[in-house]
Amino acid sequence: MKNSVLERDFLYKRKLKKILLIMNLTFLLSILLTLNLSASLYSQSTKFSLDLNGKTIREVFQILEEGSKFRFFYNDEFKYIDQVVDLKVDNENVEQILEKLFETSDITYRVLDNNLVVLTIKNNILQLRIQGKVVDAGSGEALPGVNVMVKGTTRGAITDTDGNYTIEAEPGEILIFSYIGFFEQEIQVGDQTEINVNLSQDIESIDEIVVVGYGVQKKSVVTGSISTVSSNEITQIVSSNIESALQGMAAGLYIVNNGAPGADPIVRIRGNGSISYDAEPLYVVDGFPTTDIQSFDARDIESIEILKDASSSAIYGSRGANGVILITTKKGTRDGKVHVNFNAMYGIQTLPKQLDLLNRDQYVQYATNMSNESGTGLPDRLDPANFNQPIYEGATQTYAQTETDWQNELFQSVPIAQQDLSVSLSNDKSVYYSSVGHLNQKGIMVGTGFQRINFRFNSEHDLSKRIKFGQTLFYSSGDREDEKRSQGRSNVMHMIRSVPYMPVTDPTKLGGYVAPDNSDGTDPDNPVKVQNLYRANTLTRKLFGTIYMDIKIADFLSFKSTAGLDNTKTTNITGEPIHDDGFFSLSSATTRRREDDLTSLLFTNQFTFDKDFGNHNLNIIAVAEQQSSTFNRMFISGNLPTNAVVELTGLSNITANGREEENLLLSYLGRINYGFKNKYLITAALRADGSSKLATGNKWGYFPSASVGWKISEESFLSTVESITLLKLRAGYGVVGFNGIGNYDWQSLILANTNYVINNAAVEASYFNAISNPDLKWEESTTTNVGIDLAMFKNKFTFTIDYFNKITDNLILAVPYAPSLGYTADYFANIGKMKNWGMDFEASYWLSKGDLKSKFSANLSFVRNEVLNLATPTSTIYAGQHPDFGGGDITRTIAGEPIQSFYGWEVVGIFQSDIDVANAPVQTPRSDPDDPTTGTSRGDLQFKDQNGDGVINGEDRTNLGSYLPKFIYGLTYTGNYKSFDFSVFFQGVYGNKIYNGSKVISQGMVRLFNSESDVLNAWTPGNTSTDVPRAISGDPNGNVRTSDRFIEDGSYLRLKTISIGYTLPQKLFGSATKGNNVNLRFYVSALNLLTFTKYSGYDPEVGAQVPTTNGIPDVTSPDYGLTEGIDKGFSPSPRTIMGGIQLSF
Amino acid sequence: MKIKYLYITLTLLIGLLFSCDYDLDKIEPNSISIDDYYQNADELTKAVNSVYAVLQAHQLFTREWFFIHDMRGDDVATGGGQLEVPRAQLLIGTNDPSNYVANEVWKGLYGLIHRANVVIGKAPDVPMDDEELRSRLIGEAKFLRAWVYFELVSQWGGVPIYTEYSTSIDQNNPRSTEDQVYTVIISDLTDAISDLPPSYSGADLGRATEGAARALLSRVYMYRGNYTDAKTQLQLIIDSEEYELAPNYNDNFMEETEYNIESVFEVGFMDNNAATGWGTNLGDGLNQETTLRNQEYNAISWRNAVPSDALLAEFEHSTNGDAMDDPRFNYCFYQVGDIYNNGADTLKEGDVRGNTSMLRGVESKISWRKHSLMYKTNSGYYPSGLNERTIRYAEVLLMMAECQNETDDPEADVLLTLNEIRGRDDVLMPVYPTANYPTGTKDDRFRAIMHEKKIELCCECIRDRDLARWYKNGKITLSELQGYLPYFIQNRHELLPIPQNEIDRNSNLNQSDQNPGY
Repeated sequence: MKNSVLERDFLYKRKLKKILLIMNLTFLLSILLTLNLSASLYSQSTKFSLDLNGKTIREVFQILEEGSKFRFFYNDEFKYIDQVVDLKVDNENVEQILEKLFETSDITYRVLDNNLVVLTIKNNILQLRIQGKVVDAGSGEALPGVNVMVKGTTRGAITDTDGNYTIEAEPGEILIFSYIGFFEQEIQVGDQTEINVNLSQDIESIDEIVVVGYGVQKKSVVTGSISTVSSNEITQIVSSNIESALQGMAAGLYIVNNGAPGADPIVRIRGNGSISYDAEPLYVVDGFPTTDIQSFDARDIESIEILKDASSSAIYGSRGANGVILITTKKGTRDGKVHVNFNAMYGIQTLPKQLDLLNRDQYVQYATNMSNESGTGLPDRLDPANFNQPIYEGATQTYAQTETDWQNELFQSVPIAQQDLSVSLSNDKSVYYSSVGHLNQKGIMVGTGFQRINFRFNSEHDLSKRIKFGQTLFYSSGDREDEKRSQGRSNVMHMIRSVPYMPVTDPTKLGGYVAPDNSDGTDPDNPVKVQNLYRANTLTRKLFGTIYMDIKIADFLSFKSTAGLDNTKTTNITGEPIHDDGFFSLSSATTRRREDDLTSLLFTNQFTFDKDFGNHNLNIIAVAEQQSSTFNRMFISGNLPTNAVVELTGLSNITANGREEENLLLSYLGRINYGFKNKYLITAALRADGSSKLATGNKWGYFPSASVGWKISEESFLSTVESITLLKLRAGYGVVGFNGIGNYDWQSLILANTNYVINNAAVEASYFNAISNPDLKWEESTTTNVGIDLAMFKNKFTFTIDYFNKITDNLILAVPYAPSLGYTADYFANIGKMKNWGMDFEASYWLSKGDLKSKFSANLSFVRNEVLNLATPTSTIYAGQHPDFGGGDITRTIAGEPIQSFYGWEVVGIFQSDIDVANAPVQTPRSDPDDPTTGTSRGDLQFKDQNGDGVINGEDRTNLGSYLPKFIYGLTYTGNYKSFDFSVFFQGVYGNKIYNGSKVISQGMVRLFNSESDVLNAWTPGNTSTDVPRAISGDPNGNVRTSDRFIEDGSYLRLKTISIGYTLPQKLFGSATKGNNVNLRFYVSALNLLTFTKYSGYDPEVGAQVPTTNGIPDVTSPDYGLTEGIDKGFSPSPRTIMGGIQLSF
Repeated sequence: MKIKYLYITLTLLIGLLFSCDYDLDKIEPNSISIDDYYQNADELTKAVNSVYAVLQAHQLFTREWFFIHDMRGDDVATGGGQLEVPRAQLLIGTNDPSNYVANEVWKGLYGLIHRANVVIGKAPDVPMDDEELRSRLIGEAKFLRAWVYFELVSQWGGVPIYTEYSTSIDQNNPRSTEDQVYTVIISDLTDAISDLPPSYSGADLGRATEGAARALLSRVYMYRGNYTDAKTQLQLIIDSEEYELAPNYNDNFMEETEYNIESVFEVGFMDNNAATGWGTNLGDGLNQETTLRNQEYNAISWRNAVPSDALLAEFEHSTNGDAMDDPRFNYCFYQVGDIYNNGADTLKEGDVRGNTSMLRGVESKISWRKHSLMYKTNSGYYPSGLNERTIRYAEVLLMMAECQNETDDPEADVLLTLNEIRGRDDVLMPVYPTANYPTGTKDDRFRAIMHEKKIELCCECIRDRDLARWYKNGKITLSELQGYLPYFIQNRHELLPIPQNEIDRNSNLNQSDQNPGY
């Protein structure tokens, strides 16, 4: 047994020698000297007694090798090796023998502790043992784990926990000190033996690792267009959702907030890729595509990558067309230490802007004017006899004495608070990260708010040298109190319309609230009542986790298997209690409860091949993946005889229904990254997706992409230019799909959800209301992207520019068909083609002057949109019709114009006399020429006769501009001065239009409601120099029709955040920290402090108001789709002033 | 070493566990596909019910349908500034092709046509034994389809005709001629008359009957000026003895007396605790069986419309030299001081908002009582379950009287029919001729019929079309019509504009297809 082992060892040695001999000695040395060089015990104790007379040195080595564990490395070309020696040794060790052998030669030797004996020419190795300490140039703290290398070799060492290192190097060699997050430093070895180094931090490291789909890459070799947002940047803004925190952070990312807490913003990457659907990007959390990221906690996030072009997002195939947002959560730090982070903040949110609404006396004046103009009587309430009545029986206050500021009643200053605690620890095998977070945000509109608590536990373990096991687990529970609606209208709208002499509450009324009744001649609902009495709660519980096993089959090949579960349960509870506000009363309460359960399972198997062949690097992945989802819904509603119970017990008039859906996506994908000399880079990928959402024959789609990169800075002609650290040219092309359609949209089915009343009883009724389209297929977008990355002056200045051109074909459209077809459901078809093109710029600059360190960064992007063709029956889509906002359509989508351009009439001016009316093109002919209430009159708007036919009609509508900004931008300054840090962040959009629908409400004057003070400036024969038309009930001229009267410039520049922080100096803690690094920071900051805009409404950031029926987005509503940029009375984003502490050790 | 293989096996096992579903064929589990439905009598019945269900649409009887008729007639005036713009525009004739009310009605009417076409198309192939039921169901669908086409042709003129349900969004039809639309209507009604039973027993009360089809056909014939054929149909209704006048006028407007002896066709509604669908769908939803008509005009609610002064003045009154005050005045209207809510409340001035009326020199607030639930509740805001009597026997008699007069029947015959209306138990007005309504000439008698119809059927969505018909058939002059409808402009107000979104979206229509004047 023993013999055979020895024999094997021997054979091994023989073979090894042969191989080694062929190779270049220098190269060998470089490998071997990385090992710790010192004479071993073996070399001292192994003694030889040999007669070596007449042998060549080569033969001597052979003899020695055969009789011991020594091996000899030397250059075959050493002439001296073949010299015959005359030597006899007796009980001498190897070193003594070697000493004698090379006594007279120019060869020297070294015995290594693994019994290797290396020969080299004398004087070539005058190696010095160099030691020193590496510290952070900023803080002066020791840096453990710094990599110290001898340039051009693989000799190296690593600093210990105190930052000390030891390395051997020859004079003239160059030591390279590198550490993640710090600038690399090179120092030439002279004759010194101590080299201490200060490394300075590199905030904008170009060699940081970025997450790409199904893998990671060094930023410097990425060939697609990817923006990265770090965890620090995301946590700058305290927000209930991650998307809001991304606003203005990356070029090409356009985010519009919905003001209400917990509401999802609109997110667009490089424009609207889709036409009638949400053009939302795909969200991928830890490799798992999920439906929403609202539940996640920004503080758990390590980084966010935004894949913008097709060559980077095509790896997500049928779901990547609108870009991909990759989120990587924190895994913990592998440094053997415990890290604890605690954050707490508290803030006050306020309404940032007040509308100028009429006060009581102005309202009375306005109501009087309006009643006179239209010939209707003054509302009874305004009769002095009634106006001086107490506001309720027994009250001392009269209506005439009441002055309610409804804006202040509906909007209040409210708190927001957030706390997070995270702990990370590791040992040599495992690393753990766990956290808990709590957010409590009240909405500035009474009766709204959002509360969330979330937990995370991530860990990773080395099961063996080659096998790694890891998991992520996240649970969050959110409770959102939504804005309620009454009579199909928003409460902002009711608030604008509410009468200032009416009190909010009335203790004599059932429920305690009062609303205008018939004697007021007006009927807005009491918005405070609606917000406080009605229920609209959405509870979301999300469980999200993955496990993975990573097996390193060989050094260059690994296999990773991931399984994930994403379960979201949503409970939506709405209802109205028994109450009587004097106008509207309910004698039994209504309660509705909807339970949705969405479960998604992911399973991915991935092979990764990664190997260098000399100057060639090859990385190949092959993935098989499947994601399946099931969806269940249950809905129950009914009436209750009491307000004391709101649960589903004792219901009458019960309605219940449910549904179940499932889908499956099967995918196979592969990608090859090839790099030559780290200079020429090529990526090619292909994904095949099979989806159950489409009909047979259309289920499979193939999505190829390719990109190339050229690091010009690596070329010899540029490598001498010291100032340029990176110059890279990128170009990519890819085809990506979009499948955001319903699970069964291609099937047309019988609906049994309606009744008719026969003999006073409801009888069941079944019908179908949709045309099926089995030809439905993926939307396909093809993007070309060309970009340049530049880093200069030791990366102090970085700059990225991208040009892109994205053509989306087979646009899936809810085709607007003629109402005469009689169908009511959307008909989905691949109709139309659209182009988005534009440029993104990102730049940053570091400036360090003494103790002041500053970073400026900016991003700017512009996107142009054009619909190339629309194959709908009439090649046009009109949208936005709403009886409260002028009655007609507000947008039109047509080939050759940007998507959903505002469409309506142009106002020429106000008719100053009836003669002007008679001379102008026919607006609305008066039926009674003597009665100005029956048609166009002086004081009315004159609309432009676009086609010159002398009549104003539908043909005179024209394009009134686009809601799409000409460009969007973000500007950030962050700085440090000693213990202080500060940041200022501006964000803005330029060149977009807003249809100010709330102005139709506040200035329309078509019925008696409270209004903005503009109405006092309405045209009258005595007030002719105004742009506000006459106040006339019934609006005979159609002054409120969709026109540029309500179109406003939506550009704004917003001071999004400004903050200042102070970190307590380390020494304050003294010895109490036991050498641990304790960080305690206090900060104050402000959100939305200033907004510069010409927009007259609440907030130029106009989100989409998706109408809901029992909490479910109502896609059949005219408010849905192609109505962005229409302000229908939104809850604005609050202004928040907050302070907080951060503690970490 | 061994543990390493265990891990590998474990990893692969996880793989197997999760990757077992490769089936990309997912069929909607919540519903039946169209091809698998319409397989028995029950399913066909439900399909017919769905045609009726559109009548309950927001677009039709729940809201917009009665507005479009009331606003275009002269029965009502604005209740005040609270009347919403698109409705007010119809009232004063300033409506344009984007008028929300008119466009919603159009959408509702065509929604009904689609569902009727499905029934008519599928019914012949449904495997069922009861052939009588099959033809009845087809008859019901045809009745409703004819009702819709008459609504369309009488208000919009020659509209696109669809007699089969569309299977592609490209199947847009151009405008037909009015004659072509009438051909469809008359053919459908002729079929319906032969397919429908004269009456129903309890559980089916409210479905279309032979009598309803004949009454509708009579309206159609009269609209075309064909009094002879109309008279034939009306005579058959009268001779069937299925109908008579209810003893009390308000039996036609109360929840407790629905489906009474006078009712020829009514649209059913049901109380639902004030809930209603504000949505834009066609009345779909399991809980939307209410109508907004109560609260729209109601004295203590929105009061969007009030009786017009002309209508109020039309009622016979002693001050005008009439022999008797017409009791129907109090049946139709509430005035301040009236008792309501089963006698529990008295209507106070402050409870009633909006415009006043001028009657015999006195200004006061007069509101609609017809279609209101105020007789039994003091809750104004209340989407009600009150059925809308769309055709009642009183209209049959009034149409008959007019046809008899137009076909030159003897005066006595005309008066016999006409006076039956005045002989209702709780009306008992003096018979024609009266001092103010002589009946000596054919024209006298026509005026008496006009008067009687205006009173008896006020605010029942009849008057607007009667005015249009009389003008069209030369019974009244333009200036006379303008007396009733001051806004009326020739070559504009005869028809409503085709909805702009129909012109925009229908590939077979363009702006030149718009009705004159818009």
